[in-house]
Amino acid sequence: MSKRPTKLKDISKNTERLHTILSGDLPPLPYPYEDWEDKPISEIPESKRKGKDISLDGVMNLSVPIPKTEGEKAEMVAKFLSGLRKLLTQENNWTFLEPFLLSLDNCVKCNTCSEACPIFEMSGRAEIYRPLFRSDILRRIIKKYLSPTGKLTAKFTGADIDLNWETVARLAQLSYRCTLCRRCAQACPMGVDNGLITREIRKLFSQELGIAPAELHKEGTVKQLSTGSSTGISPVALMDLFEFMEEDITDRTGMNIKIPFDKPNADILLLHNAGEFLSWPENIEAFAIIFEMAGINWTLSSELVGYDSVNYGLFYDDIQLARVTLKHAEIAKKLGVKKVVIGECGHAHKAIMAIGDRIWLDGVNIPRESCFATLEDLILNERIMIDPERNNFPVTLHDPCNITRSMGIIQPQRNIIKKICPQFREMTPHGVNNYCCGGGSGFAIMQSNNFPDWRYQVSGRKKFAQLLNAFTKEEIDSKTNKYVCAPCSNCKGQIRDLLTYYDAWDKVRLLYGGLVELIVNGMTDVREGFLEWEFH
Amino acid sequence: MPWFEYDDGKKVEVDEDGFIQNPEEWNKELAIELAKTEGVEEMTEDHWKVANYLRDYYLEFGIAPMIRKLCKQTGFTLKQIYELYPSGPAKGGCKVAGLPKPTGCV
Repeated sequence: MSKRPTKLKDISKNTERLHTILSGDLPPLPYPYEDWEDKPISEIPESKRKGKDISLDGVMNLSVPIPKTEGEKAEMVAKFLSGLRKLLTQENNWTFLEPFLLSLDNCVKCNTCSEACPIFEMSGRAEIYRPLFRSDILRRIIKKYLSPTGKLTAKFTGADIDLNWETVARLAQLSYRCTLCRRCAQACPMGVDNGLITREIRKLFSQELGIAPAELHKEGTVKQLSTGSSTGISPVALMDLFEFMEEDITDRTGMNIKIPFDKPNADILLLHNAGEFLSWPENIEAFAIIFEMAGINWTLSSELVGYDSVNYGLFYDDIQLARVTLKHAEIAKKLGVKKVVIGECGHAHKAIMAIGDRIWLDGVNIPRESCFATLEDLILNERIMIDPERNNFPVTLHDPCNITRSMGIIQPQRNIIKKICPQFREMTPHGVNNYCCGGGSGFAIMQSNNFPDWRYQVSGRKKFAQLLNAFTKEEIDSKTNKYVCAPCSNCKGQIRDLLTYYDAWDKVRLLYGGLVELIVNGMTDVREGFLEWEFH
Repeated sequence: MPWFEYDDGKKVEVDEDGFIQNPEEWNKELAIELAKTEGVEEMTEDHWKVANYLRDYYLEFGIAPMIRKLCKQTGFTLKQIYELYPSGPAKGGCKVAGLPKPTGCV
């Protein structure tokens, strides 16, 4: 592999691979991981990839079939171009046309976005991961192939990208090397949103070429709409899970709590990410304890899709996004609830509260609220009582990108945590300038092939460094238990995987969890010891 | 989809991570062979206790049980389950028990 920087034009080249990540290229980690040696990103043998293209960087989280005949190659390019045309028209892009067009038009190539991007930085500044690399290829294709004189003037206007099947296949893979964290958009002086451009490329591939990661589509939204949840939890399984959680609450706290389902006209319908039911039941239990102790009139839904707030369509496909959002809205309406509260799931916040605005209309214009706002009211107005001494250990807070940067919900969770955790400290930077966990846009649930290697070593590297830096050397050395509060299911999955890969529970005693667990751990009306300090 | 071959000539379809595609094709001989791909050289009584619980739960509810329930019902701590199945209950455990790969934000 030559070290010549990859150029935009290379995207069309008939070469085996555009870029290879070498362990030596990755920036070092802070204390005590300065000498940490990453294992090389594993290679996927031909026998395993079976006709799928991985010519971008040898990493695979998307099945892009290599076209076999000239006809198939031409068809792939034609479908891409017709899809691109659709992205640029009002009648075919009702969701994000305006910010998409502005983002295409307004870039001044200052590369501020690159400096803001943790993937670019922590890959050792690989050209292909510059936010601008992806966007500029798209801009040049539009200029050359979709403007009347584009092909004639291409050489002079810099629109010199050849649109062949290699370009199309690599662009698809490139759209899955960005977590859609939008830190670049926050930094851009022109307001260009490279995250949105990436997301619209994904949409084109899903809606027009049928190319999307199985975890998001087949095992994601399709499964959610047919079985009720992307986890495969059916209504029958749901009842078994909740029976267990009620018993578990009794075991942990001595309290008997009945978790309400399908209560008509409740004040609050609480929507959880169903992944929590299987991996982090303590989060669901903590919500139930808080709401019951505060005397809230609340309910969960046992209807298909109503018990899973996820909407992976947000990451890749408008049609699936709308289908899932509609279901959520219908269920809330049918129950007659006064408002919907979103649990600790970042992308569900954005899908249901912000993007869903254009679907939750007229008869279903039901108020929707972040659980952080609900909880802030309960704690600051002392509807539940906390003894902060019970949380007297070092705590830092991870900001889920969809909740903070994308929605501006910054203070409620801080007001809570500052009141209940005497040793709270911020990460640097935080709030709207936070770094993504590295598992954003569905990456955290992509566990196949060699993608986890990339997710731990490249996209999650900045966050892991930030987690270490949040604590003092003394705290790291003393092996006191330290808590990373990550109030989002997807972020929790990624942080769990990061801490596992870097062996950080055994090595430096870093544990992770949500916000409500800290609240219940501090509640004076609850038996001490809700937090168990066991890695899971 | 790739195939997993065992016992001189028998084969089952698996996904890219080696999870069998048709859970009804599962049998004990296959489980023993799948275990070897997950760093489990011998299926002891304790291994079977975990695998059987995972499998029975899956047959009843169509999903893998929550990890906490698995621990409570089998009496093993999560650490002990990792000692039995080094790649963890969701990966190694489920694969050996013939469950599909877990999906969603788990």
